Amino acid sequence: MKIVLKAGGMLADYLKPDPVTHAREVEAGEGQTLRQILESIGVPPGHVAMAFVDSNIVHLLYVPKEGEVVTLRPPVQGG
Amino acid sequence: MGDALATQREGTMLKGFGGSSLRVNLRTGQVQRRPLDPAFARAWLGGRGYVCKVLYDEVPRDADPLGPLNRLVVSPGVMSGNFGPTGSKCCFGAVSPLTGAHGDSTVGGHFGPELKFAGYDLIVFEEIAQGPVYLFVDDDRVELRDASKYWGKGTIEAEEMLKHDLGEDFEIAAIGPAGESMVTFACIGHDFGRQAGRCGVGAVMGSKRLKAIAVRGTRSVPIHDLPGLKELTMGVIKRTSTHPNMAPWQKFGTAMFVGWSNEHGVYPTHNFQTTYFEPYAGIDGQPLVDKLLVSNKACSGCWMNCGKYARVTLPEKPTIHVEGPEYETGSLCGGNCGFDKIEEVAYVNWVCDQTGIDTMSGGGFVAFGMECYEKGFITREQLEGHELRWGSVDDFEHFVDMIVHRRGIGDWFARGIVYAAGQIGHDSIRFTAQVKGQGMSGYDGRGAPAMLLSYMTADIGAHHNRSWTITMDEDLGKAVIKGKAKVVVYLQHIRPFFDVVSCCRLFWGEVDVTVEEHIEAIRLMTGWSDFTLEEAMRLSDRLWNLNRAHFLERNGGPGRKHDYPPARFYEEAVPSGPGKGARLTMEDLDVMLDEYYAARGWSRDGNPSREILEDLGLPETATRLETLDLLGPLMAPLPEVRGERYKPKAF
Amino acid sequence: MKIQVTQSACTGCRLCRQVCAIEKNGETNPRRSRLKIVAHFPAPGTYQPVVCDQCGDCAEACPSEAIVKDDRGVLYVDGELCDECGLCVDACKPGVMMRWDGVAAKCDFCWKCTEVCNTGALVRID
Repeated sequence: MKIVLKAGGMLADYLKPDPVTHAREVEAGEGQTLRQILESIGVPPGHVAMAFVDSNIVHLLYVPKEGEVVTLRPPVQGG
Repeated sequence: MGDALATQREGTMLKGFGGSSLRVNLRTGQVQRRPLDPAFARAWLGGRGYVCKVLYDEVPRDADPLGPLNRLVVSPGVMSGNFGPTGSKCCFGAVSPLTGAHGDSTVGGHFGPELKFAGYDLIVFEEIAQGPVYLFVDDDRVELRDASKYWGKGTIEAEEMLKHDLGEDFEIAAIGPAGESMVTFACIGHDFGRQAGRCGVGAVMGSKRLKAIAVRGTRSVPIHDLPGLKELTMGVIKRTSTHPNMAPWQKFGTAMFVGWSNEHGVYPTHNFQTTYFEPYAGIDGQPLVDKLLVSNKACSGCWMNCGKYARVTLPEKPTIHVEGPEYETGSLCGGNCGFDKIEEVAYVNWVCDQTGIDTMSGGGFVAFGMECYEKGFITREQLEGHELRWGSVDDFEHFVDMIVHRRGIGDWFARGIVYAAGQIGHDSIRFTAQVKGQGMSGYDGRGAPAMLLSYMTADIGAHHNRSWTITMDEDLGKAVIKGKAKVVVYLQHIRPFFDVVSCCRLFWGEVDVTVEEHIEAIRLMTGWSDFTLEEAMRLSDRLWNLNRAHFLERNGGPGRKHDYPPARFYEEAVPSGPGKGARLTMEDLDVMLDEYYAARGWSRDGNPSREILEDLGLPETATRLETLDLLGPLMAPLPEVRGERYKPKAF
Repeated sequence: MKIQVTQSACTGCRLCRQVCAIEKNGETNPRRSRLKIVAHFPAPGTYQPVVCDQCGDCAEACPSEAIVKDDRGVLYVDGELCDECGLCVDACKPGVMMRWDGVAAKCDFCWKCTEVCNTGALVRID
């Protein structure tokens, strides 16, 4: 199945999304957690502070569904 | 209303600035207005820069921070109010009663821009008023007025009253009862929930019997290239509005980091005993937004609206409105005090805001009291028959009342956590969470060594705004010690820059607005076509060294002895949670300090060298340090460029 | 054609007012704009943006017919014709009819405010 990951900031260095939309479509296995998906495409989960689906916080153990858009965000830099 | 508006300031040479400074002698009531000197403006830029220079030059080294010879300095910087990539900030500074040296704290909202619109870049308050006063500023009309009717009122209440009396379009900065009674961690409140919180600037304001500053500015700041600036800023707004980090910031603000901080083993819990608060989900950003949110609140000219305005009703308590809790409050007044419900955190946030104490030092110091109570070092009798239990709103509120009114042991805490630990005894200084008297921010450095080094070396004590490294600690390895000092030095250059020019650093850190864009905005505002990032970084370096000299001149040397954290942070291992087992040793701290001093161009003792001070154009400071035996020999060749050179890849 | 206001989305940032002042007056003070934000703090803690709804009361009150429609049908002030009497300001119920240095000024739907508002509080409806 396919899901869409979005990220900017330092995470973009790993995710390599489209520079305008910040989005990248990736292949994910059924039942895979977000952490497993990230590891499979070379995004270090340690750099993902949190993720959002429909503007709600989800965690790395979240299992995305087909076609879902998951926004990743790096840890706060502004502190 | 239109007819009454004066047009832009005429005859002002400086573009991008208000053009004038005010000097207010509170004892005599005299107010002097002077044009801002263009050379001074360029050399020190504004905000934290002006504060640093004024305090270093004017406050005698033996002056009591709460006495007449201290200064209260207020300054919005060059970007404030100018339609740049944000420019909402205003810096409040004074020699800090907490750290005993240069102190500054920056507040957002609308106060800085309003001062600029009134035509002022700097206000310096001297001496002490005979009775309570407030400063009234309405463009050119500047008066000290009687503040008897506002004295004793809470910060929020005083702001509401002043707006009612003067007009809704006045912007107010006010202190609460804590500032009036000179609690050393009292803050200055503005815009119903924003604070210049740190360093006890509110205590200095209270010591001068200055209840508030009310300002209205109806003019415009002259801009060198307004069409160019408009194009730049509107382009940045458009680009960043679709940035993936924007929506979470707009929805949750900083509160969303409570969960993250726990999962990464840096969340202060029960007075920094551990770094994981099991019921954190109850006080994270999600319950704040789901249960308490009234509206999203932004500072002047900001499109990220990270402020969350909340309404809370707790049983047997009044219904309150509060901005927050933000992350720092949600940690230091959250798990650090054992509160596991967002309503409770929001309520104690309001207690701090209304009484006028900093939620960071306040939360941290009360948590220290709670641990002392748990250990039996503080008794029920000393608490006027009350207790001081983890997670008790009543206990927290009562204890804050004791502090604010300096009753019994409340007076010890009002004087600061180091003083309180000395009075309590039992070697309790070992588990105070502070450096140089300033309470730690909401991150435990044991799981993030560079963060601990940031606290150890910051000019104002253990605060995170100079350098925040949790990401870098993650990136370079949480247990890694070597190499981190350079990251800290880089951050201590770049982050304070935002406080100097009075814009919000979150746009740089969070949605990829570059420092170069900020520099370009300043060029367009001022017409300084030769203004560069290098110049800005050199100013950061100059301010850092001047503040270090100021600290040493007031507190004695060698510098190194002031730079260690309390024993908990290098003796105890984190006992639970994802950060379990993390610990640092004294050797680790020494390795980091050695690297840090070398990267700064200082001596192994942590004293600035003549070479660095002369390189930064501060030869008189070098001579002064030399006569006081505070000048150190350079421990390594002088780094040619400090800061930028060490820019880590991820930035 | 209108500026659609969603009150609950306003964050009080004043970007709309500042960009209006810059666009229309070449000034940075948000007071010099042609819209308002009314703040209700500390309670209930909400902001209320107030914009011109093109009701036409100002044009009706104007004795010198200085408030006229452009080719989109949007009312604007013809500064040459304005005799600075101020009757339009009195007639404006929302209170967004302004006078700068005597001359009447009103919103003419340049949409700059909606371009900087990214919360949905002010939205351009063509």
